[in-house]
Amino acid sequence: MKRLLFALFIATPLFAQDAASILTRVDAARNPLTSFSVEVQLTTNAGESSKFRVYGKGSDRSVVEFLAPASEKGKFLLMLRDAMWIYLPSASRPIRISPLQRLMGQASNGDVARTNFMTDYNATSVATDNGEWLLDLAAKDPSIAYARVKLWVDKTANEPVRADFYVVSGKLIKRAHYHDHGRRVEIEDLLRTGNTTVMQYSSLAARENPDKMFTKDALGKW
Amino acid sequence: MTSNPLVTLEGVGKDYRLGRVRVRALDGIDLAIARGELVAIAGPSGSGKTTLLNIIGCIDKPDAGRVVIDGADVTATPLHRLSPLRLHTLGFIFQTFNLIPVLNAYENIEYPLLLQKLPGRERDARVRRWLEEVGLAAQSKQRPDQLSGGQRQRVAIARAMVTEPKLVLADEPTANLDSDTATHILDLLATINQRTGTTFVFSTHDAALMQRAQRVVRIKDGRLDAPAAAQAA
Amino acid sequence: MTFKLAFRNVLRNRRRSAITLLVIVFGAVGLILFGGYKARTFYALRESTIRGRIGHLQVFESGYSKKEAQKPLEYGLDDVTSLRKSIERDPRVKMTAAQITLMGLISNGEKSETFIATAVEPAKDHAMNNQRVTAGTDLPANESDAVMLGAGLAKSMHAKPGDYLTLMSTTTSGSLNAMDVRVAGIFTIGVKEFDDRAVKMPIAGAQQLLNTTKVEKLLVFLDKTEDTSAAHSAILGKVSGIEIKEWSELAPFYHQVVALYNGIFGFLGIVVFAIVVFSVANTILMSVFERTREIGTLMAIGTSRSRLRAMFVTEGVAIGIIGGILGLTLGALLAALINRGNVMLPPPPGYTVGYRLQIMLQPAVLVTAFLVSFVTATISSIVPALKASRMKIVDALGHI
Repeated sequence: MKRLLFALFIATPLFAQDAASILTRVDAARNPLTSFSVEVQLTTNAGESSKFRVYGKGSDRSVVEFLAPASEKGKFLLMLRDAMWIYLPSASRPIRISPLQRLMGQASNGDVARTNFMTDYNATSVATDNGEWLLDLAAKDPSIAYARVKLWVDKTANEPVRADFYVVSGKLIKRAHYHDHGRRVEIEDLLRTGNTTVMQYSSLAARENPDKMFTKDALGKW
Repeated sequence: MTSNPLVTLEGVGKDYRLGRVRVRALDGIDLAIARGELVAIAGPSGSGKTTLLNIIGCIDKPDAGRVVIDGADVTATPLHRLSPLRLHTLGFIFQTFNLIPVLNAYENIEYPLLLQKLPGRERDARVRRWLEEVGLAAQSKQRPDQLSGGQRQRVAIARAMVTEPKLVLADEPTANLDSDTATHILDLLATINQRTGTTFVFSTHDAALMQRAQRVVRIKDGRLDAPAAAQAA
Repeated sequence: MTFKLAFRNVLRNRRRSAITLLVIVFGAVGLILFGGYKARTFYALRESTIRGRIGHLQVFESGYSKKEAQKPLEYGLDDVTSLRKSIERDPRVKMTAAQITLMGLISNGEKSETFIATAVEPAKDHAMNNQRVTAGTDLPANESDAVMLGAGLAKSMHAKPGDYLTLMSTTTSGSLNAMDVRVAGIFTIGVKEFDDRAVKMPIAGAQQLLNTTKVEKLLVFLDKTEDTSAAHSAILGKVSGIEIKEWSELAPFYHQVVALYNGIFGFLGIVVFAIVVFSVANTILMSVFERTREIGTLMAIGTSRSRLRAMFVTEGVAIGIIGGILGLTLGALLAALINRGNVMLPPPPGYTVGYRLQIMLQPAVLVTAFLVSFVTATISSIVPALKASRMKIVDALGHI
């Protein structure tokens, strides 16, 4: 009894620390560089394929350059914390994408892929599930896309293995599987069964991305 | 020439254009008509007698000369401005009667008085008087198409007289009547002339009418016969 | 006397006058029937738009229309209950209905489509009677997750009553949300573009999806449309922090139809007017020529030009009065007959159902028809009257 109590007593603060540190290490593993560029090959189960280059700075700013297919080449996407902008070569200025529009198409997967667990979520519990950490994460802010995330983390590598994304009503709508040290991410759309998207990351390199690159006015001009 | 003739024409001329040809209807007419006269203007058809009558009656304008009616020189006045003169001072009787078909005898006679804006009671008195004078009291409610030629002309005479004009012009007043009726009409006109002193000017080629006239003015090819020009009453 | 002459002259040539009157009556009857049809159409469209869709007034949170909302319902109404209580105290108000409009994706598990939803209070929406239910039922009173689908959308989702679908949208704070819903029924309003995207859901369901207690607007229905302005000011006098739109600002389609019909009928009216003017003028002109000698006589015996003109214009006026009265009577009679009959017209633009021909008889239309006949006949007589007064006496007298 006393041992149990003692265990409980030290477990609680330990848990809080642990969750936060786990998250930190997870994010560090996923985003090792502060300013970087990386290539992404995206394939859907329907056989569609596209290629991008992502320029990132920090945890909440990135610019996506569409490389392939030819029909998409020349488009740019600017993803900031609260807003997303798209630049189309045929338009004179970038267009803001509303949160609603982000529901559709690959923008929603973009949201999933760049979820920043450390900054946006608080761990409400940590458990062990099948030899992996299972963190229950609650969004810190009501404006964050997914209200709740369940995250499975590999204990040794501190890398995410799987994440379940829930909306405000509690419905599970996306699931991400992380492979190959985060170089391959499979995202399942649970509302449209059978729809999966695979994102393959390559050529990750450090790059000096100036701040002004992440403004909508700069989009498409370089 | 009396010092105060009712009608004075001096050197009056009138041209008509017939296609490209200019026809001289009247040329150098000098004529004076005294008050109370009964004058016949006689001549063959085409002689210009109707034109002369029209100019005296202020329904046509001369191209040359002067026209003075009742002391007023009307030569330069446009015809439509002479309506009041025609209404108050002149009276007309036509060969074809020219009554208003939708009005009955009484109303036809009453018409000029309405133009004169005479009050109702006086209008009625005058119309009835003239219906009597021309002997048509019984036919007052009849419309022209219900009257004989002679009766229609009587209505026309009453209409011309009802405004108590100084001068009455009649263009071949008996030409459309049979000889008996014509005689009656002429008698009527002569009587009125004597009784009221109204000046009458006829145009005619009827010998009987010429006989009833105090003076006959002859016209031929637009010119007066010399004696007429020099005539004085 | 002028009138006596005028009327007698009108009766002089019965047949010709009859034809002239016929033309005027034709014009007057046309005005009455077209005008009445147009009035009825406007009335019906206005009332159905108001009572079936937009209400007489719509109440919003102050700032709704001017400021740019970054998030859904940023300018939504907070406390609808006390607002509506205050409004419903006005005896002119028939009922109020809260609504939210929102967009999102609807999915059947295999594909998603965009939807545009109107979230309503089921009982109030039922009272608005604005849809035809083609399958299933109306929105049930207290199931917050039952929805109705537009016919086109149901087809695209391969959905029938009883099926479950998922709605996705963003909450008022901007995060994603999804909700499973049961299809209660399928409806159509007769406009294909609408039916292809439409969802009708209970307000409670929308509030769940948007994660809010606000509503977007409050529709206010009055007993009489004429009270709209007065009710508008009355509400603004009682409540603050709101802005109100009147139905007229919210019914562009109605205004387009009004403009279209007015344009068409206006053009027709001008054509008819021209026909009547020319016909009547022609008839009076013929009458003038026939009476040339008479005109010469009248001028010779002292009738002034203006008097003569007045004579002919009065004839025009006389015909106008007779024609106007006849036209009015005939028009009213025909309208009554048509209204009793069952002539069906094809559907107007944007609708799929036809309707029964009805003529609305308004005093304004009748008076206009009479005035127009009268004015037209008078105008028609002006040129002939001028011609008559300008005749040369001597030529006129010599005319056969």
